[in-house]
Amino acid sequence: MHRHFFLASFLLFIACGLVLWQQNLGPKPIAITPTITGQVEYCLTCHNDLAEISKSHPVETFGCVLCHGGQPLALNADLAHSTMRGGANPSDLSVVETSCGGEMCHSGTPQVQRDHIQRVTTSLQATYAGAIAQVRYAFGAQPDLIARMGIFAIDGLAAFDPSKESSAGIQKFAINCLTCHLTAQPMPAAENDRWTGCSACHSPAPRQDSTLVHQLTTSIPYTQCDACHNRGNYSLADMQYHSRQDTPTDRVHDYYQPIAAFTRCEWTLDCVDCHTRQEAMGDGHVYSSKKDIQYVRCKTCHGTTQSLPLTYIITDENDLALREAFLNPVIDIEVGDTILMTDKGEPLWNIHVIPAEDGGTPTYEIFGKASSERLTFKPVMGSTCQQKPDQQEAKYCHECHATQR
Amino acid sequence: MNAMPPKDNTLSRRSFLGWLVKGSLAGSVLLGLGMVGRFISFQSEQSPPSQYDLGLATHYPIGSRIPFTPAQAFIIHNNEGYRAISLVCPHLGCIVNVTGDGFTCPCHGSSYLPDGSLRKGPAARALSPLRVEANEEDHLILYTD
Repeated sequence: MHRHFFLASFLLFIACGLVLWQQNLGPKPIAITPTITGQVEYCLTCHNDLAEISKSHPVETFGCVLCHGGQPLALNADLAHSTMRGGANPSDLSVVETSCGGEMCHSGTPQVQRDHIQRVTTSLQATYAGAIAQVRYAFGAQPDLIARMGIFAIDGLAAFDPSKESSAGIQKFAINCLTCHLTAQPMPAAENDRWTGCSACHSPAPRQDSTLVHQLTTSIPYTQCDACHNRGNYSLADMQYHSRQDTPTDRVHDYYQPIAAFTRCEWTLDCVDCHTRQEAMGDGHVYSSKKDIQYVRCKTCHGTTQSLPLTYIITDENDLALREAFLNPVIDIEVGDTILMTDKGEPLWNIHVIPAEDGGTPTYEIFGKASSERLTFKPVMGSTCQQKPDQQEAKYCHECHATQR
Repeated sequence: MNAMPPKDNTLSRRSFLGWLVKGSLAGSVLLGLGMVGRFISFQSEQSPPSQYDLGLATHYPIGSRIPFTPAQAFIIHNNEGYRAISLVCPHLGCIVNVTGDGFTCPCHGSSYLPDGSLRKGPAARALSPLRVEANEEDHLILYTD
């Protein structure tokens, strides 16, 4: 009896000591109360060294939990992270509406141009509907090239289900070739590394040592796009992805695939300098081919022999051009400035018109969205170019302007 | 006479274990009290006060425009009297910067005129007005609730 009493009291003492010791082991809590939620979070106890993700998402306003989920009051890492959305990536399309959505954030109305999530989830980069339609057509599973299925179901597209396909080729496609859409995990090579969802484009990939970069940006270099593009080819012959064997470094000579021709602006600018948000992120409609949504051409910026590129004068303080320039201030534009716009009326906010003093053809200045570099160019009209106005595909321009490689 | 047996000063095993039990129990009680004290003394995050003493009203002469950082507020004294506006952007809650011609939100670019009214979005309304009054000691009191 006494022996048991002794053991019990001794174990109680040890247990109390262990509990107190463990309590003191933990870090001193660092609290933050974001202005949006007004709820205390202790995430900064461990993550106080993280860089601000962007100037539009300051931690004092947003905190961490609003976007990432998790347990705001937990000081134990496992518990704190147990309910995070999308792991380290809350922009994964499976959770993006909860993480990034909201009327005032990224799932507002098209009228105020805040329907980012609605557009992205219908985009070809997310649905892969074009590639699926091409392959299903090639293997006789559908009568035309019209998109009917996507990686996930949305209004107008059914979910692509390989188990319901009778063609071995389509099933092989499903196994080997679904690696580039926004919900797919990247292929296991450093040059393919990227996040999924919004962060596939808007966040840098993890570094080579696997450490993460806490950043959201609209300043997207071409190297980010190249995690998916320009890395190899899918072959219909064997239904395999054939990755490039070289490691291109010199952009003009070996970066792009050898069969393609490119003009100077195509290898000196970044992709986002010309291609618009609707081309990359969709416009809310379902398309069957990249060609149906990718509409910016040489003439969009350079015009034709008969017409100057489309322009408009910014008259409204709430103009989308000013909003985009605010997020990536490589150019100083304001109400009254004239900028270029596309055939669909999208502002090319980084291209500013400089009128000629003699009233002749203007000059245009373009600011690299990722490089901040300023370049100037003249329109086709008034030059020696003889190109017919109705022949404006890139192949015609490349006949004279392709860089010798 | 029989000689007395020598007194045994050594601690018996029973006594030793008895002291050990008492010590363990006393230590457990002390550690337990420490844990309870720590629990009771935990200071949760304080809610910000709903009113602030801005000091003597004479520190805010007519024509002055003075930020009051502890409450993220801006105090204006003009011919109509004292006014206060919140520096919290009504769009998403960032703290606006005071600029030469009003206020600008550093997060999403909303812009406000010097009196706090909306110049441009994405915010949909003006900076929120706050109540400010002078008390008997001629101190300005700012109310944020």
